[in-house]
Amino acid sequence: MSKSSDERKIAEDDPTNGVETHQTQVTQRHCEPNGQRELTTAIIYAIAEVEGVSPSELKSPPLYESVDVPAIEDAFFGPDVAGDSRQGVGTVEFQYTDYLVKVQSDGWIRVYEPTEADLS
Amino acid sequence: MSNQPDPAGEATSDASAPSETQLPSPDILEIETVYEALGHSRRRYLCYTLFEDTEWSLTDLATKIAAWENDIPEQAVTEDQREEVYVSLYHAHVPKLVDEGVITFDEATETITTADHAEQVLAALEGIGASLDSKQETHARSDMDEQEQ
Repeated sequence: MSKSSDERKIAEDDPTNGVETHQTQVTQRHCEPNGQRELTTAIIYAIAEVEGVSPSELKSPPLYESVDVPAIEDAFFGPDVAGDSRQGVGTVEFQYTDYLVKVQSDGWIRVYEPTEADLS
Repeated sequence: MSNQPDPAGEATSDASAPSETQLPSPDILEIETVYEALGHSRRRYLCYTLFEDTEWSLTDLATKIAAWENDIPEQAVTEDQREEVYVSLYHAHVPKLVDEGVITFDEATETITTADHAEQVLAALEGIGASLDSKQETHARSDMDEQEQ
């Protein structure tokens, strides 16, 4: 599993703190489109890895409360179009507890953690 | 004399008055629940288990579904296979079915139980199962037969 510390700056919309929040990528994982493992499972395994717990211990809240992952899975990796898999490129991102999760249409899942920009 | 049409002489159309009685009854809209609930193979597997029993522990459910999906006996299911299914049930499919009113989930005991819409969904599953989902149907049926013996 390759990891990178790819740092990205995302302007904070929240007007109550004018501080920019850095999002630091903490893990990434590939989910084989149409593979045996579901996207939901792959996302939870990735976050569990970051938290250092076993995937079945990661319970609260259910991912469903953030997003309907099987629906994303269907949108990206759903039935083939005219016999070919979809060629479109896109990314869906959502917040799960403290993490920002990005799912790319090629099956890459990236998990980011916020880090205060001005702690120095 | 002008050629202006005489309003009174206009042909009255039979279709001019829409009948309010033709609106679909609210019951019909509940079919949405059925499609949503049965719109994923793991949720269909889960619903099949409800024919057999109306109450399941999440772990037993995960074991059974993993066995069906991998086409192996339940005793042969590995911890990894079970965990994979367990996680997707817990984080996606169980809350979805709770949302649709098909099951309830007790978080403390991690037990699922049939709810109000289960009957409707199971009736639909029984209807479409034989033709569209024959593999799942065969799995689920043969399993139930074994239990009866």
